[in-house]
Amino acid sequence: MTLMDVLDKNLIQVPLKHSTKDEIIAELVDLLVAHRPALDRDGILKAVIDRERMGSTGLADGIAIPHAKTAAIDRVSVAIGISKVPVDFRAQDGKPSQFFFLVLAPEKESAAYIEILASIARATASPVFRRLLSSARSADEVVRLFLD
Amino acid sequence: MTEPFRSILVYLDGSESSVTAAMAAIALAKRLSATLTAMYVINTQALNDLVKARIFVDVEEIEFRQDLEGDAERYLRHVRKLGQQKNIEVQTVKLEGSVHTLVRNYLRDNNIDLLVLGGISQIHSRRDELMSETDRMMRTAPCPVLIVRDDEKIWDMFEEMPDAVVGGIV
Repeated sequence: MTLMDVLDKNLIQVPLKHSTKDEIIAELVDLLVAHRPALDRDGILKAVIDRERMGSTGLADGIAIPHAKTAAIDRVSVAIGISKVPVDFRAQDGKPSQFFFLVLAPEKESAAYIEILASIARATASPVFRRLLSSARSADEVVRLFLD
Repeated sequence: MTEPFRSILVYLDGSESSVTAAMAAIALAKRLSATLTAMYVINTQALNDLVKARIFVDVEEIEFRQDLEGDAERYLRHVRKLGQQKNIEVQTVKLEGSVHTLVRNYLRDNNIDLLVLGGISQIHSRRDELMSETDRMMRTAPCPVLIVRDDEKIWDMFEEMPDAVVGGIV
């Protein structure tokens, strides 16, 4: 399983409406719950925030991958947000973040979860791809970039 | 006439579709009197990449490694039991590392005739980084590959196969 198996244009927000770390995590969780109202919003949010407390998931080069394995989700899911303003996500390189991939998985889907996280990390390692992502103006454009 | 496939390998990745593939492989092995091996590769390469990129903290690495170890044991045991149920001996192999590379090498080194895989990605990206391990296996295997769709027909076919008789052979 890779990102392509779970990529859903309804779960992509461009641009993000909020500009702080906590607000962006909540915005992406809300985006997911808006399309799947049966999900436990508070349970998901708590799992992601608990994981952030162990260490920021803000990586280098503007990428952040907040993630959690939790019983509050029923299948591996990814919500993507792109910010037009730099966001302090307490990233490892000290630089602001722009691209956010919220990755969630049920307790028993570790293999798929790892493969999806690794595929996001590999895909976003390309400076050209990041530049293209930053110029995307809509969810459709983001999907197209992953397909091309 | 010599059977076309005498040595079959089914790859398990913890997905339901890979278990369905194992059922199809058991049916095929029985019909062709072929040997059947089930393999699970713990994807330590992806795990190491996530630690190196600091996406995973140490405690997550330990937890996920244990999860994957548990998954490997559980799925291999399950397929071994499915084989026993139909009187087919399933050899099991558990490896750690880069999934498609280890599978390719095993196929080559053990003269496997046929690789059986569960579903491949429905949507394909032209970006190489987004190719799944199953897709990579399909593209790099040195032998024919059978892709089994996760279909109820496979379950029905498996159910209809005669079960092994305890203490004897069907």
